[in-house]
Amino acid sequence: MTARIALLAYLAAIVLGTTVHAIGPLALGLALVLALAGREWLRILRRACVAILLFNVVITLSYGIISTLQGSFSLEFVALVNLRVLLLTCLTFLFVFRVNPFDALAFSRSLTFLFTLAYSQSMAFKQALEDFRLAFKSRRIEPVGLRDRYRHSARMGAYFLDKSLHQAGEITQAMRSRGFFDD
Amino acid sequence: MIELERVSYHYPESEPALKEVSFSVAQNEHVVLLGANGCGKTTLLRILNGLIFPQQGAYRYESEPVTPRRLRDKSWSRRFRSEVVLLFQHPEAMLFNPTVYDEIAYGLRQLGVDDLHGRVRCWADRLGVEQQLQRPPLHLSGGEKQKVCLAALLALEPQLLLLDEPTANLDPRSTGWLIDFLQDLRVTTVATTHNLSLAGELGDRVLVLSEEHELIFDGRMEDLLGDEEKLLAANLVHSHRHGSSRDKRFHVHDWS
Repeated sequence: MTARIALLAYLAAIVLGTTVHAIGPLALGLALVLALAGREWLRILRRACVAILLFNVVITLSYGIISTLQGSFSLEFVALVNLRVLLLTCLTFLFVFRVNPFDALAFSRSLTFLFTLAYSQSMAFKQALEDFRLAFKSRRIEPVGLRDRYRHSARMGAYFLDKSLHQAGEITQAMRSRGFFDD
Repeated sequence: MIELERVSYHYPESEPALKEVSFSVAQNEHVVLLGANGCGKTTLLRILNGLIFPQQGAYRYESEPVTPRRLRDKSWSRRFRSEVVLLFQHPEAMLFNPTVYDEIAYGLRQLGVDDLHGRVRCWADRLGVEQQLQRPPLHLSGGEKQKVCLAALLALEPQLLLLDEPTANLDPRSTGWLIDFLQDLRVTTVATTHNLSLAGELGDRVLVLSEEHELIFDGRMEDLLGDEEKLLAANLVHSHRHGSSRDKRFHVHDWS
């Protein structure tokens, strides 16, 4: 029951976080989330920063270039977007740290089933990612150049795309076979 | 050649993967690391390849401790990475170059080998992938990918070849070919498998890891096969009820 309440609170906070368009309340929300995290606040903040780094840098740079060319650059907008993404990511990490998602979704068999599928897929991907990382490290005799890094990243991207498509097909068939799509 | 002394390893927030494992391997030995799934075989190979480092105990290669600090020494790291190589269980993880040729040449280029072309041709020929040299590795079958990875590793002329479940993804014909190939190879090998019936083919000395992540046997295959208690403890065989219409009895069974 507590897990379900936490899930509802989390969903409400996500909706609130996406509808507020002012830096002050978002910063206050972030401070509140980190306060709720207690002793884990630094760990959650660090993991969230690492998780969003690439996405936010790409978005910020793209926006910066285009808006500067159009003469409409706004620092406030950049801060707003980055703060919102950081708040929502911290909120999600806090939820995952504190609540067992399987308990939270226990009220619905379908949601539990979907979450189990997503979770098992993410675990498989995590292991594959580690294999790729270590295999690359194992084959590096000299410090690696930019071209090799690019090739390796491209290969990983293609592998995960292929794997996702294949697994999505398999999962859909498995679900259909078990009557999931039957009306 | 390599020595492990009371090596323990645990992944963050999980149970130990290895507990106080000690053994050594001499030059030109062919060692098989046998154990059920999840007993720590892959972790041990990754330690031997200097990819992860034990929290307790020591691992030495040619009497030198293999530590993050030692691997920061460029000349030693260069020597270690070219002499100790690992064939991953899933070859896809190792392949990222545009052609099979580039894949085999990858390590050789880093070493600045003079006769690069000759060495690539030679190993492609020995592994039977000479017809595939200009093809992208991703378009090959699972067995061919494995051969390309082996060619890329062996082209470096390593001292120690580590093989993680080398037959796990192969069909019977490719498995037979690989076993013959490895038996003719004059390189020290440490291969993992959970398949008791293949262990004797992959090496002449067997190390058994238990499901408690401890080394419980180090010896000859014949001696292991005579030790039913250890085989059962390591989950390498099962007591299995054989059912026929009249006769049902329990006996030891190799599921692999």
